[in-house]
Amino acid sequence: MNLPKIASISKKIVVACVGLFLLVFLLVHMGINLCLLRPDGGAWYIAASNFMGTNYIIKVFEVVLFAALIAHIIITVALQIQNWKARPVRYHQPSKSKTSTASKTMIWTGGLVFVFLVLHFVNFYFVKMGLVEGKYMIQTEELFSTELQNEYMAATQGKLSEEEVALFQSKMEKVNAIAVKAEAEGLSSNDMKWIMNLSAEDVKPLEGIVEGVEPDFYNMSYELFGNKVYSIIYLLLFVALAFHLIHAMQSAFQTLGLNHNKYNKFIEGFSWIYAIIIVLGFATVPVYIMCFV
Amino acid sequence: MNFTLKIWRQENAKAKGRFETYKVENISSDCSFLEMLDILNESLISNKIAHPVCFDNDCREGICGMCGLYINGRPHGNDDGVTTCQLHMRKFKDGETIWIEPWRAKAFPVIRDLVVDRTAYDKIIQAGGYVSVSTGGVPDANSILIAKDKADKAMDAAECIGCGACVAACKNASAMLFVSAKVSHLALLPQGKVEAANRVQKMVEKMDELGFGNCTNTYACEAECPKLIKRSNIARLNREWICARVGKEK
Repeated sequence: MNLPKIASISKKIVVACVGLFLLVFLLVHMGINLCLLRPDGGAWYIAASNFMGTNYIIKVFEVVLFAALIAHIIITVALQIQNWKARPVRYHQPSKSKTSTASKTMIWTGGLVFVFLVLHFVNFYFVKMGLVEGKYMIQTEELFSTELQNEYMAATQGKLSEEEVALFQSKMEKVNAIAVKAEAEGLSSNDMKWIMNLSAEDVKPLEGIVEGVEPDFYNMSYELFGNKVYSIIYLLLFVALAFHLIHAMQSAFQTLGLNHNKYNKFIEGFSWIYAIIIVLGFATVPVYIMCFV
Repeated sequence: MNFTLKIWRQENAKAKGRFETYKVENISSDCSFLEMLDILNESLISNKIAHPVCFDNDCREGICGMCGLYINGRPHGNDDGVTTCQLHMRKFKDGETIWIEPWRAKAFPVIRDLVVDRTAYDKIIQAGGYVSVSTGGVPDANSILIAKDKADKAMDAAECIGCGACVAACKNASAMLFVSAKVSHLALLPQGKVEAANRVQKMVEKMDELGFGNCTNTYACEAECPKLIKRSNIARLNREWICARVGKEK
């Protein structure tokens, strides 16, 4: 098979554009994460993540994001393999050329960011996909759904057979169990819209009865970052992200040909500031939860 | 001054190389690096110790681009903006051990000892690094107007002597600084602009084909270029590439 030859610069332009898109994504993600710190019982955070989970434009961008991430990884790894092959015999003496550490370690810091992503996916995204058990929450008004209400009406009017009544009663028992648990343990959110912090065992019986069971990322985050070892691993991987980002933006500008004596210092400075803001923003959440909760 | 030299010796392109240790004594601090190697070679020949160490050189005044050694982890050694022939022994400490290696890149195979084959650069130039019309005699001054800043930038880029230090320094053995200098100095001038779009594509295609690595914007090339060619040329190359691709007619 003859693959069309793609020029090195074309590949790099794709990596740069995708990288800039990922930088913007990180800012949005960080903004939502910071909502976790509001002392509102998660109202803002739930509203934001609910918007991200349901909005159709966001759903389209979710696909774009994954495609972008995969393209970024595949192309950079392919380029890196070519780069290693371009020097089959290495120097005996380590390079003493004046270069930045961040720029020389992109593939390694990128690898660490990938490790972080795997960890992050197992902890959060896989729960959403139902691959891993986490904590769950239910919209309060969904608990006693219209369907159940109709069944209730039918039952009181004697329109149901004995078997159907028995089935309805078993459903109601399960729903009641959650309502009772929520009341007893204070699981309702401040605005009473959600019943939160439910385990997989709590939610399992509700399958097919209650719609709108969603992963409770709010309580999952608090539990996860309450674990010090885990938080520290997260923070260490953020250091790798910081190194990756410091070089990322200025490098993308250079690859896109956006280099100008007047603006180079600004671009370099902005890359640093952006990287620091992103990483500090993300790091604030585990640090806060680890130290103050 | 006295030095211990660890020099890469390799009989031919296929032979397995190794480092050999030689000692040189009573070297003047004003000696250039290549003169120091000449002294070593004379002693190797007269004392019948070994075959003299092969290394490339020509003008010995820093403008031909022939010399180029990887000295103690830096192409052209521990000084900025100079070629190996313009590097003086005063830049080293007395008694220092100096590691001397050839350029290392797949596209620059070692021919013997410290001499590498840089034909790859010629091939890139042959792919399009020229103006294809005969320019004739010297035109009347000011018959083609060129802005001062453009002329300066073109001249800065044209300073490239094609020594290969950028490839040698780059962790990816990328030739982007060389190609960008050649693309820039022509694209900036009216005579070269006509063929700019075609040129950049052909030269980049050839560069990829020859097995150079990909630029990761680390800028070791800029740090080591004996002619101080700037990274802004690489950005210009990228711009030229994008414009050529976007505006490409088939």
